[in-house]
This record gives sequence, structure tokens and C-alpha cells, in this order.
Amino acid sequence: MLELQIAGRSFGQPVLGEVFATIERGDRICLLGPSGIGKTTLLNAIAGLDKAIPAEAIIGREKLRVGYLFQEHRLLPWRTLNANLRLAGANHEEAEEHLASVGLKGYGHYLPDQLSLGMARRAALARCLAVKPDLLLLDEPFASLDPVMAGELKALIAGILDTNPGMAMICVTHDGGDAEILANRLWYLNGQPARLQWDDVVGEPRLINDLLGRLRNSEGFDLV
Amino acid sequence: MSSHSGRPPAWSYWVVLPSFVLFWALVAWFLKSPLLPTPLNVLDTLLRESASGELWHHLSATLARVIVAFVLAMLLGTAIGIVMGRSRTTNALFDPMLVLLLNLPALVTIILMYVWFGLVEVAAVMAVVINKVPNVAVTVREGARSLDFRLEEMATVYDFTRWQRFREVWVPQLFPYLMAATRGGLALIWKIVLVVELLGRSDGIGFQLHMAFQVFDVAAILAYSLAFIAVVQLIELAILQPLERHSSRWRQPETAHA
Repeated sequence: MLELQIAGRSFGQPVLGEVFATIERGDRICLLGPSGIGKTTLLNAIAGLDKAIPAEAIIGREKLRVGYLFQEHRLLPWRTLNANLRLAGANHEEAEEHLASVGLKGYGHYLPDQLSLGMARRAALARCLAVKPDLLLLDEPFASLDPVMAGELKALIAGILDTNPGMAMICVTHDGGDAEILANRLWYLNGQPARLQWDDVVGEPRLINDLLGRLRNSEGFDLV
Repeated sequence: MSSHSGRPPAWSYWVVLPSFVLFWALVAWFLKSPLLPTPLNVLDTLLRESASGELWHHLSATLARVIVAFVLAMLLGTAIGIVMGRSRTTNALFDPMLVLLLNLPALVTIILMYVWFGLVEVAAVMAVVINKVPNVAVTVREGARSLDFRLEEMATVYDFTRWQRFREVWVPQLFPYLMAATRGGLALIWKIVLVVELLGRSDGIGFQLHMAFQVFDVAAILAYSLAFIAVVQLIELAILQPLERHSSRWRQPETAHA
């Protein structure tokens, strides 16, 4: 069952080289690779944000609803959390439910700047859910969170994916440990220009461990 | 962009301004010249003009011109400023014209409008608008250039409509620039409207100042100026400051704990 096809032959910009991949329902992809290699560029390309990348490079996107968790929360600071979720397509009650599902029950009337970093990121995750996404794009969701908050967010995301088996996810991370918890498929982006050097599908998350082990031992593997 | 930061404490107004009036009264009392009436003379003229209805007639004529010219200049200037800030091509096309218009003396525009279109209301308002639009456009262009591209991307991902993008993403970011344009705009428009009225209208504060000038009626000149200053301050206190407070509430929220 084909969902989204990346045909990077026509990317036509310097960072990304030829990237080919097909994303299917239920795919939980962790996108690994060194800093500055183009992971966010690839995510933006998939989301249709990179104007340099022609639309035909990503096949099937227009049929998908995409929720994008940016590195910053990118909530409108002059709108309450509830209003921010409504602008993404939820109604008032749905917005409150989505907020409750990320542990922000009763915070609908708060402004984004009133929240801590971890809370704001969860609110942004709730906004992703407000579009009822087929594809969840997460750009370093655990960056600059303390280990406890990062762990909670990881469990939260894993829970969301478990209750929505049809949802696909691509999560950019530096940390192989994130992949062990979240992923059933690994992408490894590296090279100049960058290509997907690894694209391995693993049936079950726990098998990711073995794959990561093999990856770490392979030549030129570099996450930082 | 807040105009409050440089503002002295309120009591300074209650000390400095009465002292000034006292000083003026002393000098006027000492000179005993019709060219410098006392504050009481001016107040008397003000009350007389107000009672006869003259003051309100001319004040409302001026106010109407200011409002029409202001609204037109803000709408046009904002639209041009946003387009110029977002598109290099448009900026390249319009920028030389802006430089030209910004350096064109207001008096020249007014004279040309009257010469070309006659001493009519449209020419008067047009002259004011042409003088003001470049200032608004330049200010709003700065704002449009500083729009946060990250929020633009967010609006794209979450399928904001054009209206939502304008209302929810752009206007709040442009608000400080729009306020700056409004403040500067009102101050400039008031002054230009008076000149426009002086040169070619038969009502308005500018026209009355012209008549008073013909007969060296300094009390009337000062009385009309005072009424004018009072109205400008009223607009600042009753409309601009509450609007600014209302729209900036989100900037300093209290932090939540959880």
C-alpha cells in the first residue's frame, strides 16, 4: 500500500542528493545522520516547505494530512493554545481533547509564552494531532529537554503511534536510543550531497537494537 | 517600539505645563500688547467660538478630512509596504518612486493638486494622502521584511487560508509598525491638513487660522491651536493607547507552572 514516494532525482538543490524512498502506513522511521547533513531539509521537502524542490519530487503528498513538530514550538504567541489548535483545524472541544491527550488538560486558555519548553513542545504535538495526521514529522523532538521530560515525551509519542496504527512517522534525531524506543525503520542520511545510505525496515521496534549495533560497527557511521 | 519607554512620570505634566501658563500670563501682563493675549483672553475666545458653534463647525471639517485622509493613506501605504517587503521586484519598481515622494515638499503636492484638479475637496484629501503614503509604506515595509519565516512555514504546513495568514500571522507581527505609522501619520496629517485648508478650503481650522492671521487676531490663533492640541491628545488617550495596551497583552503573560 503506497503512501508517499520521494523521488529525489529532481531535488535540484545542493544539500540533498538523490533520495528515493517509499513511506507506508504504520512506518515509524527514525532519520539519523550527522548535523547539517540535510535531515531538516529532507523533512521540509516532504512537508512541501522547500520552494527549491519541485512538487513532483514528492509523490502523493497532496493526499496526506501532515502534522509537523518543528524544532521550535512555532505556536502563535498571541493566540491561546486552544485557538492555535483550532487554526490547525480542530473545533473547541477537539482542541481541549488533544491538549488533554498530551497532558495539558485545562491549559487551553494559556498563551504559549506562559509554558515551559517541555509543555510548549507537547502543545505543539497536540497541534500536530489536531490535523488528524496520516504522517507525523518530528524534527528533533527531544532536543534540549532534560532526560525525564524527554522520556515522558518519548512515551507519549510511542503511545500516540500505538493507538493510531495507520499513522506514519518520520522522526529526526541524533540519538540512536530514541530509535530503539520509537522506530520500526531506520534511515541514515550522509554524504555530499546527502543520500539515504541505509534504509532498513525492521518488523518490530526491539529488532532496531540489532540493526543499530550493526550500523555502529559499519565504516563511516557518524551520528554527530 | 513602545512609545511609553521614554515617557516621563505623569506629575511632570502637572508641574511644567501650569508653570508655562503662569510664565505666559506674566509676560503678557507685563507687555500689555494685543500681539500676546493673556491665557484668560485665549480661554475667553475659545469659549465664545465654542458657544457660537464656529469652533465645532471648523473642528469637525478638519477632523473629517484627517480621518478620510488617514484611513486612505494607511490602507494604501500598508498594502504597498507589505508587497514591497515581500517581493524584491516590486521593491525595485517602487523604491525610486518612494525616495522621490519622501523628498517632495508637502507644499508642492498641495499646490499641484489644487492647480490640476481645482480647489475641491478631492484635491485637498488627495494631497494629504500622497504626502503620507510613502511614510506608511516605508514603515510597514520594514515590518514585512522582518516577518518570521518560521511562522510562515507553520502556516503553510497547517493550511492557513490567505485571510488567516494575514489576520493571525502577519497583522500581530506588523502591529508595532502599524502603530508607529499611525502615530507618525496622525501627527503629519494634522499638520498637512491645516496647510491644505489654509491654501484652498473655506472651512476647517486651517481656514480659520488664515482668517485670524489676516487681522492679526492672535487670541483666535491660540484658541484654535489649543482646541486642536486637545483633540489630538484625546485621540491618543482614548483610542491609540487603549488599542496598544489591548493588542500587546500577550507580550508579558505570567508564567504557568506544571
